[in-house]
Amino acid sequence: MANAADSVWSGRYSRQTRFAPIGEAGQRKLADACVLIVGVGALGASLAQHMVRAGVGEVRLADRDFVEPSNLQRQMLFDEADALAVLPKAVAAANKLRHINSAVRVEASVVDVNALTVQQLAAGADLVLDGTDNAATRLLLSDVCFQRHIPFIYGGVAGAQGMNAALVPGRTACLRCLIGASDGEGEADTCDTVGVLSPAVEFVASLQAAEAIKWLTGNQDAMRQTWVSVDLWSFRLRESALPSGREECSYCGQGHGGNSDANAAAERDDEAMHSVVLCGRDTVQVTLGSTLNLERLEKRLSVQSFPLTVNRYLVRAKLPGGEQLVIFPDGRVLVQGTTEASHAVRLCKTYLLERTTDDYLGMEGSVRNEQGSMA
Amino acid sequence: MSREAWLDFRLYVITAQSNHPGKPVVDVIEQTLIGGAQIVQLRNKTGTRAEVLEQAKALRLLTRKYNVPFIINDYPDIVIETDADGVHLGQEDMPVAEARRLLGPDRIIGISTHNLDQALAAERDGADYIGVGPVFPTDTKPGRAAVTTSYVAEAARHVSIPFVAIGGITLDNVDLVLAAGAKRICAVSAIVGSDDPASVCRSFLRRIEAAGGKAEIANKKSLTVNGRQELTSARTVEELVQQLGQQNKKLIIELNGVIVQRAQWTATELQDGASIEMVHFVGGG
Repeated sequence: MANAADSVWSGRYSRQTRFAPIGEAGQRKLADACVLIVGVGALGASLAQHMVRAGVGEVRLADRDFVEPSNLQRQMLFDEADALAVLPKAVAAANKLRHINSAVRVEASVVDVNALTVQQLAAGADLVLDGTDNAATRLLLSDVCFQRHIPFIYGGVAGAQGMNAALVPGRTACLRCLIGASDGEGEADTCDTVGVLSPAVEFVASLQAAEAIKWLTGNQDAMRQTWVSVDLWSFRLRESALPSGREECSYCGQGHGGNSDANAAAERDDEAMHSVVLCGRDTVQVTLGSTLNLERLEKRLSVQSFPLTVNRYLVRAKLPGGEQLVIFPDGRVLVQGTTEASHAVRLCKTYLLERTTDDYLGMEGSVRNEQGSMA
Repeated sequence: MSREAWLDFRLYVITAQSNHPGKPVVDVIEQTLIGGAQIVQLRNKTGTRAEVLEQAKALRLLTRKYNVPFIINDYPDIVIETDADGVHLGQEDMPVAEARRLLGPDRIIGISTHNLDQALAAERDGADYIGVGPVFPTDTKPGRAAVTTSYVAEAARHVSIPFVAIGGITLDNVDLVLAAGAKRICAVSAIVGSDDPASVCRSFLRRIEAAGGKAEIANKKSLTVNGRQELTSARTVEELVQQLGQQNKKLIIELNGVIVQRAQWTATELQDGASIEMVHFVGGG
């Protein structure tokens, strides 16, 4: 039975293995590889699709957000049913990917990627692909990748513009050295402010996926050592040479890679504190002090007769004031309809917490941008 | 004030309420007048006509007190109603001739221009002065949106009516604008957005005075920035970024084909003839 099934799919990668630089040997390397994709929005969905179709052994998806109608114009793995069901993006994407290639182990994590969660996600990965939408998370991923000696393949899109660079420990500088450490200030254009064209997304995701496949199939020498900037509207493409690591940097400097020295760790932790502070859409992410029991929460909210949408992964409640709470069991709440952290925290206190003052402690609000992870 | 007298202005100030939340426009403008501002424009693109009228009345009284001409952006009718000294037009607004017909021969008419053709057209059409800018990039495309000091230099050569350089000008880069041939400077956020507008105005006036119309940039070099020729005194990548007003942006900077790491901007010197590409980090995903 298993043999018969195997024979049906025996030619599955034939067009990829016929490509000489990959061959059967490269295909076996792909099958042994593990890739982490952070952010499963526009770039992330496209990247995941490339990795799964190519036959990467394990693909980990991490995303903190859920599917909405405004995603469907460019986030290739999602459909109307996903948006109506308010499915978490990681879950909706994994469902599609398992149909595309059941031989790939697809792990979906509905999680905010920050200093607390990133290490476990990255452990054992051969590569991290960037599907995020903010500089702070990218800096965190760059730090972790350089510590772990694995490549971080940055991609960014906004409007018709895109950028891509494969940052490789031992070969190139890290993202922190290239763009500077300060986040928040000077945050670049986002898809929320300037929109984004689907072809720009696919263009950048293709650049990222190509570099990933080179790395994973043992074709490291074929990788570009350049930063590509492209504008698909005016069609202007520029390739700039990437410098190598900076001696004094605790991430990309020679002799520093892999050392998680105290300073570096402290720096990283500082970063995490505001790694979700972004603006854009009308949403605040509130992190409660503890995890939530969705079932109990659903009961309590339904007593108050708010319109609810419930699935296995989250509860969405429409509040009388027009705001929406999207509540995840890990203790995160996306409060839509406000940009004021204090207001969002007040709503969470009012509607979500049991009436013990202890629960009120340890709640922090941070403004974030549209899809926590996506263009 | 006679026509000849107002022509001598060196420092032009424009209101920008969003730059000083919580402080009334009249208070901030009075500070600029105390600091020596020589012409004041009311610019309010978001308020209702009634709000503009109210501000215009207040600023008319204030500018009379300091004997400084008062210009209103758009609204020729409010110019007449408040007895302001003139109107400032954008390229999209009514033609100069139409404004002249409405306002008569004695009122001042100024118009913003972004290239030499527009400048010469404004001159032909009877404008009394022109704005030349934006000299420095003010938003998303560094080095590209701006007309740069090269248009200032063209205007200095070819325009015979007074021109005032405007757009992203700060005390950090005003010397470049003066060196390119500007004799009149307009700064907006650098002045009304500061905590001490009077003192900033005095500093601008000292710099304009010191330039005396024959400024030379010390150690100037010619660079290609995003495909445009730029004269600059910047010694390092960091200084260039500041002169272009981009210090708060996340940028990717390429110097002669290679990315310059952010941490190396201060240490990376610019040589005459260098080629620079500057793009904003693209952050969506």
